[in-house]
Amino acid sequence: MLNFNSTIKQKKTYSDIKIEEIEPIIKINLRSKKREFSKKIGKILSILPPTEANTSSGNEDYNLLWLSPDEWLVYSNNKNQSLKEQIDMEDKLFDEISKLNQGAVTNVSDHWVMINFKGHKIYDLLSKSCPFNFNEFKRKKGSVAQTLVNHVDVILHNKYDNELNLFVRRSFSEDLWLWINDSARFI
Amino acid sequence: MSKNLRINKNNFIDQTIRISFKFNGQKLFGFKGDTLASALLANDIHLVGRSFKYHRPRGIMTCGSEEPNAIVQIGNDPSSTEPNVRATEIELYEGLEAYSQNCWPSVNFDIGGINNFLSPLLPAGFYYKTFMWPASFWEKYEFFIRHSAGLGKSPTKPDTDLYDHQYAHCDVLIIGGGISGILSAKLAAEKGLNTILIDDKNCLGGSTIYQEDDCFKINNDYSNKWLKKEIDNFKNYPNLLIKKRTSLAAFHGYNYLLAKENLTDHLGANERKNKIRQRLWKIRAKKVVIATGSIERPLIFNNNDRPGILLSSSIKKYIDFFGVKNGNEISLFTNNDSAYETAISLNKSGVKVNTIIDIRENSTSSLVKKIQKIGINILWGHTIVNTNGYKRIKSINVQKLSANGESVVGKRIKINCDCLGMSGGWTPMVHLFTQSGGKLKFKDKDYIFIPDMNKSPSDQISVGSCNGNFELDDLISNTIKNIKIFLDLDKTIYDNLNVVCSKESEKRNIWLLPSDKPLSKTKPFLDFQNDSTAKDVKLALREGFKSIEHVKRYTTTGMGTDQGKLSNMHALGIIADTTGTNMGDLGTTTFRPPFTPLTFGSIVGRNVGEFFDHTRKTAIHDWHVENNAKFENVGQWKRAWYFPKNNETMFQAVQRESKAARDGAGILDASTLGKIDIQGTDASEFLNRVYTNAWSKLAIGKCRYGLMLNEDGMVYDDGVTTRLGENHYIMTTTTGGAANVLSKLEDYLQTEWPELDVYLTTVTDQYSTISICGPRSKNIVKKIIPDLDLSDVNFPHMSFKNSKIDNVNCRIMRISFTGEHSYEINIQSNYAKDVWIKCMEAGKEFNITPYGTETMHLLRAEKGFIITGQDTDGTLTPSDLQMDWIIGKKKYDFIGKRSLYRSDTIREDRKQLVGLLTEDPLEVLEEGAQLVEDINKKPVEMLGHVTSSYFSPNLKKSIALAVVRSGKKLKGKRLIVPMENKNINVTITDTVFYDKENKRLNA
Repeated sequence: MLNFNSTIKQKKTYSDIKIEEIEPIIKINLRSKKREFSKKIGKILSILPPTEANTSSGNEDYNLLWLSPDEWLVYSNNKNQSLKEQIDMEDKLFDEISKLNQGAVTNVSDHWVMINFKGHKIYDLLSKSCPFNFNEFKRKKGSVAQTLVNHVDVILHNKYDNELNLFVRRSFSEDLWLWINDSARFI
Repeated sequence: MSKNLRINKNNFIDQTIRISFKFNGQKLFGFKGDTLASALLANDIHLVGRSFKYHRPRGIMTCGSEEPNAIVQIGNDPSSTEPNVRATEIELYEGLEAYSQNCWPSVNFDIGGINNFLSPLLPAGFYYKTFMWPASFWEKYEFFIRHSAGLGKSPTKPDTDLYDHQYAHCDVLIIGGGISGILSAKLAAEKGLNTILIDDKNCLGGSTIYQEDDCFKINNDYSNKWLKKEIDNFKNYPNLLIKKRTSLAAFHGYNYLLAKENLTDHLGANERKNKIRQRLWKIRAKKVVIATGSIERPLIFNNNDRPGILLSSSIKKYIDFFGVKNGNEISLFTNNDSAYETAISLNKSGVKVNTIIDIRENSTSSLVKKIQKIGINILWGHTIVNTNGYKRIKSINVQKLSANGESVVGKRIKINCDCLGMSGGWTPMVHLFTQSGGKLKFKDKDYIFIPDMNKSPSDQISVGSCNGNFELDDLISNTIKNIKIFLDLDKTIYDNLNVVCSKESEKRNIWLLPSDKPLSKTKPFLDFQNDSTAKDVKLALREGFKSIEHVKRYTTTGMGTDQGKLSNMHALGIIADTTGTNMGDLGTTTFRPPFTPLTFGSIVGRNVGEFFDHTRKTAIHDWHVENNAKFENVGQWKRAWYFPKNNETMFQAVQRESKAARDGAGILDASTLGKIDIQGTDASEFLNRVYTNAWSKLAIGKCRYGLMLNEDGMVYDDGVTTRLGENHYIMTTTTGGAANVLSKLEDYLQTEWPELDVYLTTVTDQYSTISICGPRSKNIVKKIIPDLDLSDVNFPHMSFKNSKIDNVNCRIMRISFTGEHSYEINIQSNYAKDVWIKCMEAGKEFNITPYGTETMHLLRAEKGFIITGQDTDGTLTPSDLQMDWIIGKKKYDFIGKRSLYRSDTIREDRKQLVGLLTEDPLEVLEEGAQLVEDINKKPVEMLGHVTSSYFSPNLKKSIALAVVRSGKKLKGKRLIVPMENKNINVTITDTVFYDKENKRLNA
């Protein structure tokens, strides 16, 4: 059996900040401009894709993040989903959306690395290199932002008060992790 | 032994904590809360430096960022020493070491002081005029000029301090913690706005916080007491962030501002360890309140630069705030009431004020009356015509001013003093306002430039003395009135303040005060740092310079580290008086960022060392590291370059790897190639438009090479695209081009072809690509995926199969960039490292050899395959690359098609890709080397250059690719590659050197 090799294998705790990679979880990129798309997604995931910019919808199992007027990112809350369950979910979406020409379903589970941030100072930390204005974002649970942290493209999802998930490309993840840990020392 | 000029009073200095420091090697003591300047003055040290040009002795003149003279070198550690630090701004800390600049061997005895005696020979423009002739001597002049240029010494080793950045977003940013800034901050915070207040000092309150006099009262309390209560009350506002020791450096458009926070500069060395030294704040504010205050002007008179001459307001701050008297016999010279405030403070502290010389004829303000009551001598309508003393002022010569102020009359009076305070009025600090794009207007009454609120960028306001309100009651009432409008407030807590202050009744302004000698025999300094005098400005005018910008550059007025904070207004005034122009019409010089200096460290932040650039790593990177790979940077990727064994050189390693790939099997980490998932009913049509060749008929399961052009017809990118399903493709791009290709394609879809039903998703990081090539590649893949039918019939070249390795899905492409029988395994990145290891184990018996990008380049060059960006440079069409076969001539359109038929792109004498063989097969050409036909013809005609060059171990000779003018026609032609020490003969050949029949693809 092949081993799953994530990039970051540590948890880190600093004053008022906890950081860890949450893997393996399925992540799927969805794209569509079709009317039927929302209904189909609603049926499969039991959540509707948000239409308001920079917001998300979610339930116990999945989160659906708005990325653009015709693009969303789905990710699972369940770290214990087996690879087969992940593939089944992807196939289900692919068969219903891509194969029926309702849009595009693309597995991006290994494209993005998800890092979970918890603590009262997580926004102070990110603001060391992120030009994004978190004033509204941190107040509104479920907010989504696509921005740069230390010049690296990231997606941010406000999960709870003082808790967010950051998605970074796998190839940049180690580089960003280094920066995060370096900067967290000075918070 | 220095004297102690400290007086035991005030609340701002902690006289229980003594701090030792060194100045020019002399051990001295100060107290916690002192600046270096206040500590030096407390030790009766005025002489701190030498001027730039004449090396005249100079002393501390101010108490803030406008200081022109007291700029010192801090520390002598080669990694942390810092030049040009203002002694007036640096807080004293234990162990501080400071040195005077621009003097040798010492500040007390400076050889360069001879320049002072040669000064009649060194007027403005001396350098420009003298060193132009003869032109051939410039390099000799330059040697000396460069040695004498600049102040201080730069560190010679890398900075070991830590710096970082912080972004902040707020509703209101208030710049300046003086009384107007405090009032503004309070009103903004009171309204519930997210407010930031920054101030460059470690104590809020500006000059009001130490103004304890019954001439200045707010609500029947001393103004300082009232203000302190307001500041203490700030803690009740959680929405108010106060950043002290933070100076604003730049005010850019749309309320984007940069501020530098000093975090450890005031701490001793032991307390600084592992802490951030300075932080650069990048602030976006919805609204900005500029409350930067004003700075006092000097007066321009003969020899106004001697140590011991300070601004009058600085003397007041040193006595009231730091508890330091600047001398024992102080005289004051003024044209306004401010000097009288200083006299009151000095008198209250028991310091003798000899005389006040006032150029006005009279004044009836309450301040003046108070001084008259005290009995201090006032000389009305007088001016100082000269000062005496070399390293410290000893006395002044005073004479009566004529009625028009242009000359002096009467007898000369000599007054002894060891300190002189001068006050020429106040200049509003409008620098930040103008940096943001605001325009100034001239207020004739006060001889000042103030912000023109009708020409101000929106969402910002200037309040307080930086807006021209100098008297306490005006300042407070106008600040409140303006802030109410600015923040849309109905009522404020300050609406009924009762403010009492002295009102200035008389004004008299003379930009250049007369002496009893002709101007040519005097030295009235304007710019104290650059030794620019009023004479220099007049000389510039005589020589035809009229614009203030030209005069500034000719005389260097305002070009020192103080950026003319003290000198600019006088220069303008003198120009206006001399030319009979209105000052308002002259305008000001341009105030550019930074307002206060920024260290390079704070600009760079943590983007140094390992954070200087970003690195992208493949999922197999660790294996490469473990196996001794050398890496090269490709874009931001770290790509395995070659894998040396047993101390091999790069050449030896690449030769071995290349041979192994052709003889047995080679394995390459190709994960960095860009990958774009393309889905949608119009995906085939989309590819038709994007690539030069046709895609509609590509069968599912097949792969095709494509060339992408720019709109100008030049090759932009290339790669293999595979049809995964009816409406589903995966495109590969070059490593470096991936992001740009995706943006370009998305741009086309959104703007040019919105009718197409196509969706793009980047999957570059989703899949890792392991390329196995060579005659034994099939055996290896067979061992890993035994169930996969690898027969050439069922799995031919340029096709793909879905498969599984263990339980993980993967795609196997049979494509080749080496000309060998090859497979590319594409698998989810988190499993890639294991698959790679599996391949290595399976390939052991076939001598599988990992190879890097250098071997990949060599192998593809043997086959004549181009690398976009190496063999192309954005100026080559497919035809130039001898790839006419890839242009679908029957296609209706594709990006760049029209450009391929322009007269320029169909020229036959364009540079075209060719192969090169050297006469000596062992001679490897240098990439970039020029190609010529006739070395003797002058000028030598350059025909082209080498783009790729290697020694091929498989062909046992040197091979190269090059672009050569009319290259297609020149096959067999001999050319010359001229190098530094020899000329290399080469012959133009076909671009394919190895296996021209492509037999090895199916071997």
